[in-house]
Amino acid sequence: MSASALVDGLARLPDEDKRLLKIAFAAALGALFAGVVLGAMTAAARAGFFDPGPVLGYRSMTAHAVSIFFYWLYFSQAGLLLVLATAYAVPSHGIAWRPLAWAGFALMLAGFGASAHGVWTGVPLLYDAPPELGLQPSASLVSFYGGYLLLAAGLFCVATTGVVTAIRPLANGEQTEWPVVSFASTAWAGLLMVSAIAAVNVFLPAALWAMGLRPMPADHATGWHILFHNLHYLPLMATVLMWYVLIETLTGVKSIFGPRFSKIVFASYLVFVPPTSLYHMFLEPNLAQSVRVLGSLLSLFISVPTVTVFLVIVASLEVHARSAGARGLFGWIGLLPWANPAMSAIGMAVVNLAVGGALAFVLIQEKLAPLLSDTFFVPGYFHFLTVGTVTLTFLAALVYVLPPLTGRPIWRPALLRRLPYLVTAGLALFGVAGVAAGYVGVPRRVLDITYGGAAPTVWMVLMVGVGTGGLLMAAALTLHVLALAANLLPAPARRAIGVELPAVRWEGIALAPTRAWTGPLAVVVLLGLMVGFTALAFEVMRALPVGAVGSAAH
Amino acid sequence: MREDALLFLVVFAIWIALAVVYATVPMFAMPGYATVWGWGALVFLALAGLTIFARWRGGSRRGKRTADRDDKSGAVHER
Repeated sequence: MSASALVDGLARLPDEDKRLLKIAFAAALGALFAGVVLGAMTAAARAGFFDPGPVLGYRSMTAHAVSIFFYWLYFSQAGLLLVLATAYAVPSHGIAWRPLAWAGFALMLAGFGASAHGVWTGVPLLYDAPPELGLQPSASLVSFYGGYLLLAAGLFCVATTGVVTAIRPLANGEQTEWPVVSFASTAWAGLLMVSAIAAVNVFLPAALWAMGLRPMPADHATGWHILFHNLHYLPLMATVLMWYVLIETLTGVKSIFGPRFSKIVFASYLVFVPPTSLYHMFLEPNLAQSVRVLGSLLSLFISVPTVTVFLVIVASLEVHARSAGARGLFGWIGLLPWANPAMSAIGMAVVNLAVGGALAFVLIQEKLAPLLSDTFFVPGYFHFLTVGTVTLTFLAALVYVLPPLTGRPIWRPALLRRLPYLVTAGLALFGVAGVAAGYVGVPRRVLDITYGGAAPTVWMVLMVGVGTGGLLMAAALTLHVLALAANLLPAPARRAIGVELPAVRWEGIALAPTRAWTGPLAVVVLLGLMVGFTALAFEVMRALPVGAVGSAAH
Repeated sequence: MREDALLFLVVFAIWIALAVVYATVPMFAMPGYATVWGWGALVFLALAGLTIFARWRGGSRRGKRTADRDDKSGAVHER
């Protein structure tokens, strides 16, 4: 018998729910695999390793972003939401309103197909899909925008079933107190619903235009900014919730600050979402100066919830580890179960979040945003978040989620635990070269940056680093995806329950009064990184021999 | 349990206030923002309402089950 509420809960799910979740995660891994392959092609093209030509090049770039940023992240979030909603409720009851959940995933799958059809048959719009790039209405554009609308409808359905599943034990009198994870899952489901509404707000007018039913929407960029802001917060909220769940699964440790404080922290994500959204408008020329100043001030709060969850988890772990005998300032970190693939993935996710988060603060400053938003700085920094943080965390979750669903142990955990380091190594090369390329002006979303030989030599040198890092990252991710997908293949079932991955058990340990400095020190390092990256940005760009004016592309 | 609904209500209050600001203050005039945050506020109001309803219904069901158990045990004693 496992000591984990997550694993035990999943093992008790009805078979029909297990089947649904396996399909959701198979779709998620399929979308990630497709996106990674296309991303490798794009990185190689950007580095000049091969020339796909403009049509195939931009189709690959668009399909890469659409597959990963929309379908991988939302298939996996929809599946993980239902996992948490059921495992922490009354698992034997299964998913509430099951037909609606099936309908939701069917709509999302149809959306994936429609989006892919739109990309490969028409003008590749890039993932934000501004209608002006499409020039005129067409069936391919209808398919592309329709895919996003189907995804939104599907997400709304799945989120609804998640809410009902989490809340049902309360209404039946089976739970007197709502577990933190059930509360946080419901809050997450609420934000998914709002994001579905935001997607309809931006893509329905575009779809109607593509059908020839209305003029081209003039405010697509504003609508995209709202959706995009939610799409920043949603995966991060899901990530820290998965950390909270997985750390309990890996170590038995719950928050030392109590369930009420944890609920407040998860709710704070929702409190900070709307007020911090203004910085996406910094590139709009008509935005009032006072709104820019206010947006700059509010943007400083964007990382408050994530940093708070990080502090809660690290302090809780450190106090338990010290009570279990850890010595030295960082000695407790060595006691964590690093031989477990989920632990190594979470560890690398934390490192990548610190780097990506610090770089994000450079980009959202009002004076720097116009200079950097159209450069390769953007893909350079956000892969630390989308791949290095969110994707590694979701893959870590699947290490624990898939075996109880399939009844089979995870494939080659000894190999799997090394892959997050390899992903991070490739990401570091890609990201450092990409951010440096952005600082010296390499444009994003431009496949050929030679400009007939007029471009600075350093541009191509840095982009070779981007391509090499991208290929390494893609190879490691592909192996990771295939290793997890092996768990889903039909084969004679061997019961996985009881096949324990390396873990420590610190629950129930008598806590000794102790100081926990690692969390606060990590925040000081984060602040130092933010200041350092900002100073570097100013120094490098001040030395550039050109001026630049940004446009509304970010 | 009470804090669950309260937290959703706090989220509702902040979101609806921002939606009103985006809809009415000329300096911030961004109708798209008002639409999304306004609908979002309603989502969290609904979640708060559902949480309160679930707590009330769960409480009455637990009370009914306890009463049923008491009735049965009373019947046994009477016998």
